[in-house]
Amino acid sequence: MKLKVWGARGSVPAPGPQMNRYGGNTSCVQVTLASGEQLILDAGTGIRTLGLDLTGPRKIHILLTHLHLDHIQGLMFFPPCFRSESEITIWGPSSPESTLEHRIARYISAPLSPVEVRELPCSVAFRDTPASEWELGGATIRAEAVTHRGPTLGYRITDGDTTLAYVPDHEPALGAPLNGLETEWISGYDLARDADLLIHDCQYTDEEYPEHVGWGHSGLTDTLTFARRVAAKRLMLFHHDPLHADEFLDELCATARRRWEELGGDATELEIGIEGSELEVAPVSAMSTPESTDFRPAVQAGDLGVSTAG
Amino acid sequence: MASPQAQKPLELILARNLLTRLSTPAFLVDAEAAVVFYNEAAAALLGRSFEDAGRMSAEEWTAAFGPFDREGSPVEVDSLAITEAIRSGRPAHGSFSIRAASGERATVEASAFPIVASPEGSSGAMILFWPLNGNGAS
Repeated sequence: MKLKVWGARGSVPAPGPQMNRYGGNTSCVQVTLASGEQLILDAGTGIRTLGLDLTGPRKIHILLTHLHLDHIQGLMFFPPCFRSESEITIWGPSSPESTLEHRIARYISAPLSPVEVRELPCSVAFRDTPASEWELGGATIRAEAVTHRGPTLGYRITDGDTTLAYVPDHEPALGAPLNGLETEWISGYDLARDADLLIHDCQYTDEEYPEHVGWGHSGLTDTLTFARRVAAKRLMLFHHDPLHADEFLDELCATARRRWEELGGDATELEIGIEGSELEVAPVSAMSTPESTDFRPAVQAGDLGVSTAG
Repeated sequence: MASPQAQKPLELILARNLLTRLSTPAFLVDAEAAVVFYNEAAAALLGRSFEDAGRMSAEEWTAAFGPFDREGSPVEVDSLAITEAIRSGRPAHGSFSIRAASGERATVEASAFPIVASPEGSSGAMILFWPLNGNGAS
């Protein structure tokens, strides 16, 4: 399984010279399966440049975690949408309120958009994710609701013996510390358990998180604790806050690696989402992690004490 | 890593997180009507923490804590309006007595709110107890 990150930013695009290395586009990850087929995870603004690069396949599957703007904003600028030969299937969370198509059409319609969904020249289908596993391109896909604001999914993609878990917007520690919780009570546990790579929300530093409790995102310690509780073999910090410039993210990554090692991990297993980065995901031998213990590392005074970048 | 139990539905996880924060005695039951969590206020009422009690089937709950009618006779859980309401996915309110771990009785009013997140039916229910005689340790 190969991945390419086309956008790792959260909330809103954050362009600018101080964001050049990590990128300013919002969530979008391209997954190339062993079969050669491709899945696109989320349609943030990163999908626009992905679409420019995507000249081959006519059949495209886009898996949306939810419909917040930073996860769908790029749809209207996705070049394959404007190619008549494209066959696009958009998967997303169901809602008792209205269909997936109708909810997305609120964005791709006047006055927010110059075109309507029905005017797109491509063939596009909207599908609620099934309650049970299903197959795409030879991979097994599982979608489950996770703790975030509004109906939101995480995805578990198993291709052969390799498993990717994608949970870009997630606040599993909301109302309950993760370090002592039984695993059956942890949001996203079944999705991320033993994943070879976990791509997970890490929007905030620990210092920032108390001001954002309930916003649907994770602070660094909760991200690391979640990754350890689910025994993820590799972790990618994702959904960077739009205020976090390159130097800030450099320090966040360095701190995260130090704490990951304090938790018994290997620093090389932890990375941070970088727009344009490509990586190969392969099976890694299982980690040994106790069921429930105190995973919370001692918070070092001064860690990430840098001022908010802008 | 071993997974002793399948992960609970998200709506139950969120409900548990809410109940943890309440000072009202509150219980969480799953779709099988087993008590899968109760909060510290409920533990004070019962005289036993959930950590000590653990998951309890409806039968285990009945044997340990009741309920009893106003005359003190055991009440079948299946005959409670609340139980029927949970199973039919409707809210309910009722009154009965329970027996704390100390053996003391407490009369409570109870409100049950089915937790419904899919067309397939309820995932369980939240049940809030309103003690009618102080903290119930009368």
